Amino acid sequence: MDSSLAFENELAQLLPRLRRFAHSLSRNPSDADDLTQTTIERALRSRDQWQEGTRLDSWTYRIMRNLWIDTARSRSRKEKFEAPPEEAEFLGEDPTGAIEASVELKRVMAAMERLPDDQREVVALILIEGFGYRETSEMLGLPIGTVSSRLVRGRTALLEMVGM
Amino acid sequence: MVSDEKFFAWLDGELSPDEAARVEAEVSADPERSRLAEQHRAMQARLGRAFGTIAEAPVPDSLAEAIRKPPAEVIDFAAAKSTRQPRSWGALPQWAAMAATLAIGIFVGTQVQTSPSAPVEVQGGKIYAASALNQALETELASAPGKGPVRVGVTFRDQSGAVCRSFTQAEASGLACRNGDRWQLRGLFAAPEGQGGDYRMAAGMDANLAALVDSTMSGEPMDASQEKAAKAKGWR
Repeated sequence: MDSSLAFENELAQLLPRLRRFAHSLSRNPSDADDLTQTTIERALRSRDQWQEGTRLDSWTYRIMRNLWIDTARSRSRKEKFEAPPEEAEFLGEDPTGAIEASVELKRVMAAMERLPDDQREVVALILIEGFGYRETSEMLGLPIGTVSSRLVRGRTALLEMVGM
Repeated sequence: MVSDEKFFAWLDGELSPDEAARVEAEVSADPERSRLAEQHRAMQARLGRAFGTIAEAPVPDSLAEAIRKPPAEVIDFAAAKSTRQPRSWGALPQWAAMAATLAIGIFVGTQVQTSPSAPVEVQGGKIYAASALNQALETELASAPGKGPVRVGVTFRDQSGAVCRSFTQAEASGLACRNGDRWQLRGLFAAPEGQGGDYRMAAGMDANLAALVDSTMSGEPMDASQEKAAKAKGWR
């Protein structure tokens, strides 16, 4: 019982970071929270496959990444051009700072969305989530050279899009 | 002139102190690279700020609730597990035995009982993919995974130019390369015990397999269009 509660507590502590990762992968905030929800459900269901003493964050990130790949691939590309979901729920309660922040968030999410999936996940894990190259290569099951070259392409394209 | 990869590895703090100092010296002597470094630092800071608003925002109740009150099916997990459909090929002991024999570099055909649905077969001392595994390697695209039990990971060419493909199934993962008209196994690794079934969804590549892929691969993994083209040419 104790270890089960520990698992839940640790998962709860990861929630803010998981939501951030979901937002960097997804095309809009409501998809991101759906992805977070499915990830939590999957993690709880597969909890006996997590080995105590190993990092729960990489394990859960990997679940989220695989779920995202599955849904992203099954989704038709044309959906990209459909109208965005209702914006009201996206805007925060604080009328000044929150709106500005969410407009900026929308802008960077839109730029991330235009990256190919294989570059987007690497950019998200390294530049936004702060994982190292080695951790990222283990999480994605890719050689480190592949991670590094996808990161070069992804961040170069992103810089062109957001124009610093 | 440092390569782009090295330049960014420096920017990300991934180089050894010696290497970092060398790149740093080159970058500071190169106005264009210095400017690029600044732009990328600024962009990363901007991403950090924008996505940071999510990490700092209160977690929606529905998500916190999902942890406190997991869906009912969780309770039935143990029962569901025992009634799961029989696997389409190879029970765990068979896979484990094959993986073990491959790992130590000896393989005697008679050690593994073969059946028409066995995922591998031995011919002339070589191990080839068979049945569902062969089918998946022949037809599946890593860029468009199907519903079958085998998931193809990366497709690439080895130093001799042969097409190689990594694969994952619930009980094992491995690497097979094209040899004539068949897929010859280069490595097979059993999943850690207790990590079959759903774990396929959660698992990245086995660390041993990743190392094997790393040492076998020449150049880059194929992208979706290269993979398609290779399939059209019969994986030549």
